[in-house]
Amino acid sequence: MDIALSDNHLMIQRTVRDFAASEIAPYSAQWDEEGHFPAHIIAKLGELGITGLIFPSKYGGSDGDMLSLVVALEELAKVDSSVAITIEVLTSLSGPLLLHFGTEEQKQKWLVPMLQGKTIGAFALTEPDTGSDARGITTSAVLVDGHWAINGSKSYITNSGSSMTDFIIVAAVTGGDEAGKKEISNIVVPKDAPGLTVGSSYRKIGWRASDTHPLFFEDCRVPEGNLLGERGRGLAQFMKVLDGGRVAISAMAVGLIEVSLQMSLAHALKRRAFGKPLSDHQAIQFKLADMAVSVDLARLATYRAATLVDQGLPHKKEAAIAKLFSSEAALQAVDQAVQIHGGLGFMEDSPIARFYRDAKVLTIGEGTSEIQRMIIARELGC
Amino acid sequence: MNIIVCVKQVPDPQMPMASFKIDPATNKLVPTPGIPPVINGYDEQAVEAALRLKEANGGKITALSLGKELVSDVIKKPLSMGADELILLQDDAFEDGDDYVTAHALAAAIKKIGEYDLIICGRQASDFDSGVVGAGIGEILGLPVITIARDIKMTNGVIRVERVVPDGYEVVEASPPVVVTVSNELGQPRYPTLRGIMAAGRKQPTVWSAQDLGLDTTVSRMKLLKLYQPDKISQCEFIEGGSPAEAGVNLALKLREAKII
Ligand SMILES: Cc1cc2nc3c(=O)[nH]c(=O)nc-3n(C[C@H](O)[C@H](O)[C@H](O)COP(=O)(O)OP(=O)(O)OC[C@H]3O[C@@H](n4cnc5c(N)ncnc54)[C@H](O)[C@@H]3O)c2cc1C
Repeated sequence: MDIALSDNHLMIQRTVRDFAASEIAPYSAQWDEEGHFPAHIIAKLGELGITGLIFPSKYGGSDGDMLSLVVALEELAKVDSSVAITIEVLTSLSGPLLLHFGTEEQKQKWLVPMLQGKTIGAFALTEPDTGSDARGITTSAVLVDGHWAINGSKSYITNSGSSMTDFIIVAAVTGGDEAGKKEISNIVVPKDAPGLTVGSSYRKIGWRASDTHPLFFEDCRVPEGNLLGERGRGLAQFMKVLDGGRVAISAMAVGLIEVSLQMSLAHALKRRAFGKPLSDHQAIQFKLADMAVSVDLARLATYRAATLVDQGLPHKKEAAIAKLFSSEAALQAVDQAVQIHGGLGFMEDSPIARFYRDAKVLTIGEGTSEIQRMIIARELGC
Repeated sequence: MNIIVCVKQVPDPQMPMASFKIDPATNKLVPTPGIPPVINGYDEQAVEAALRLKEANGGKITALSLGKELVSDVIKKPLSMGADELILLQDDAFEDGDDYVTAHALAAAIKKIGEYDLIICGRQASDFDSGVVGAGIGEILGLPVITIARDIKMTNGVIRVERVVPDGYEVVEASPPVVVTVSNELGQPRYPTLRGIMAAGRKQPTVWSAQDLGLDTTVSRMKLLKLYQPDKISQCEFIEGGSPAEAGVNLALKLREAKII
C-alpha cells in the first residue's frame, strides 16, 4: 500500500496551512474566549473548496480523495480545532449522508449550497438519555397526512444553531416490530421547521468556537419526502458514513499532536533552566521523543485508514484503530506540551492552553474510546 | 489576450536564519531538509496580476520558469491559482548562468511561445534580489519595459500601468507587447482553490532544454566570487538620563555624534 502524498496533497496542505496562518490563527484565541462561531471563515473555506473537497464535481465539489481531507483537517486542527470540527461534521457526517442516501432533489436543495460554503448542516443522533447506545434513541417520527411529526430531543449537536445552519439530519424511531426492535430512520429537518426549538449554546471546555446546541422537537412537522433514503435504514446509513468520520477525527488529533510537538520543541530550545536549554535536559528530551513517536504512528494509522477508504477497501477496524490511537495520543501530547511550557502552558496567553482544552473531546465524539475498542474487538472476532 | 508570467522558485525567505547554510566550496545554498522552497513572492503577485487581467479581458496565461531542482508541487502553484499552462526551462547548462543567461533563456522561450501581448515578471526575486531579469527580457526582445507596477489594465488595446514612485504612483501606457514588472503594492495574491489544485494536478508542465531553445549558455557575463553569510553583530546601548527628557536629549546627541541626524 502506497501512502505517499501526491503533488495535489502537498498543494492542498500548503494552501490550507497558508490560509490558516493568515486568516484563522490571529483570531482563534478571541473566538474561543467569546464562543464566537466564525461564519465568515467557513464561507471562505467554502470558496477555497475545502467544504466540497471530497465531493463529486457534479455537486460543486472538487473530486478529492479522503487523504486530501485528512491533510486539510490536520492543518486546520494545528491552528483551530473549532474550525476543523465544523468542517469535519459537514464533510464527514451531514454531507456524505446526503450524498450517499439523498435523492437528487435533496442533494440540490441541501448539499450543493453547503459545499459552496453558503450553509452548514448537522447530524443529530445523541439524546439526553443515550449516546453510545445509538439504538436507545427515543425521538420519534410518525407519518400524519403526508408529514412526519417529530417528538423528542437531541443533545450536543454540532453545526445545529449557527447563522449558517440550514438543516439537521435527525435520527428518529419511525416504528418497530412486535419483538420490540426499533425501526430507525434519518429525516432532514430544515432549520425553520415548525415545532423545532434550538436551545442555547452549550458552555463547553473546548471547541468553544464551534456551534453546539440541544434541540427540542414538539410535533415538529416536515414533509414526508424529507425522509433520507430508505425507511428503517437510519442506523445502517449512519454506520456507513461514521467510519469515514472517524478517520477525519483522527486527522484532527494528528494535527494537535504535531502542533504540540512543534511548539514544545521551539520552547524547549529557547527556554533555559539550571544553566542550559530545557532541550538539554534528558527528561524533556524524552517527552519530545515520545511526541515525535506519537505523531508518526498516529499519522501512519490515519493515512492508512484514509488510503483504504480511497481504494474502496474495508476499513472499519483501521478507522477505529486510527481514531482510538490518535485521540488518546493527542491527549497525552497536549498534556506534555503544557508540562514543557510550565506555567505559561496553563495561561490562555499561549495557544497551548486552548489545545489542551480542545483535545479531550476527541476521545468522546463520533464514538468514545471504549466504543472504538468494542468495534476493534468485534472485528477481531470476539 | 496572451499573457506570459515568469516565476522563480526560491528558498523560503521565512526560514529561520539558523537553517540557512552555504556551501563555500561551490558557492551555493545548501537546500534545507524539511523547508521546501516557495514561489518568489513578487512572482505570485505577477500571477495575480495576470489572473485579474484574464478575468477582465479573457485570454490565456502561460507561466514560465527556469530553474534547477524544481519541486513539482511548488512550481505548479501558478497553475493551481488559475494559469493555463506551465513551461519549465530545465537544463544543467543553465545552472551556472547569471541573470544575463536567465534573461536570454526566458526571452528565447517567449519567442518560441510566439504569441503574447504581455510579459509579467516580479520586480525582483527574494533570493538574490538583482531585479534585472524583467528588464533584460525587454532589452533582448526589443520591447518596452514598465517596472514596479501596482496595477495593470488593458483597455482598447492599450496596456495601462500604475507604477509605484516614491511619493505616489504614475500612470504609463504602452501598446502591446510589453514587459511589466510588478510590486507588492499590487495586493495579496489569491489562494489556490481546491478545484484549481485538482486541475493543476492533471496538467503536465512542458519542459524545454537549452537545445530546444537553440541557446548558447556560455554567455555569462558575471562571475560569482564568493557567497557568504555576513557575521551578524548586534550592539545594544542603553541611553541613560536622569529623566525621560534628559535621556531623549542624550539620545539626540549620540545620534548626531554618529552622524545619523
Ligand atoms: C462537543 C461535542 C459535539 C458533539 N456533536 C455531536 C453531533 O453533532 N451529533 C451527535 O449526534 N452527537 C454529538 N455529540 C455527542 C457524542 O457523540 C456523544 O457524547 C458520544 O457518542 C458519547 O455519548 P454519551 O455522551 O451519551 O455518553 P455515554 O454513551 O453515556 O457514555 C458514557 C461513558 O460510558 C462509556 N460506555 C458506554 N457504553 C459502554 C459500553 N458498552 N462499554 C463500555 N463503556 C461504555 C462511554 O465510552 C463513556 O465513557 C457531541 C458531543 C460533544 C461533546
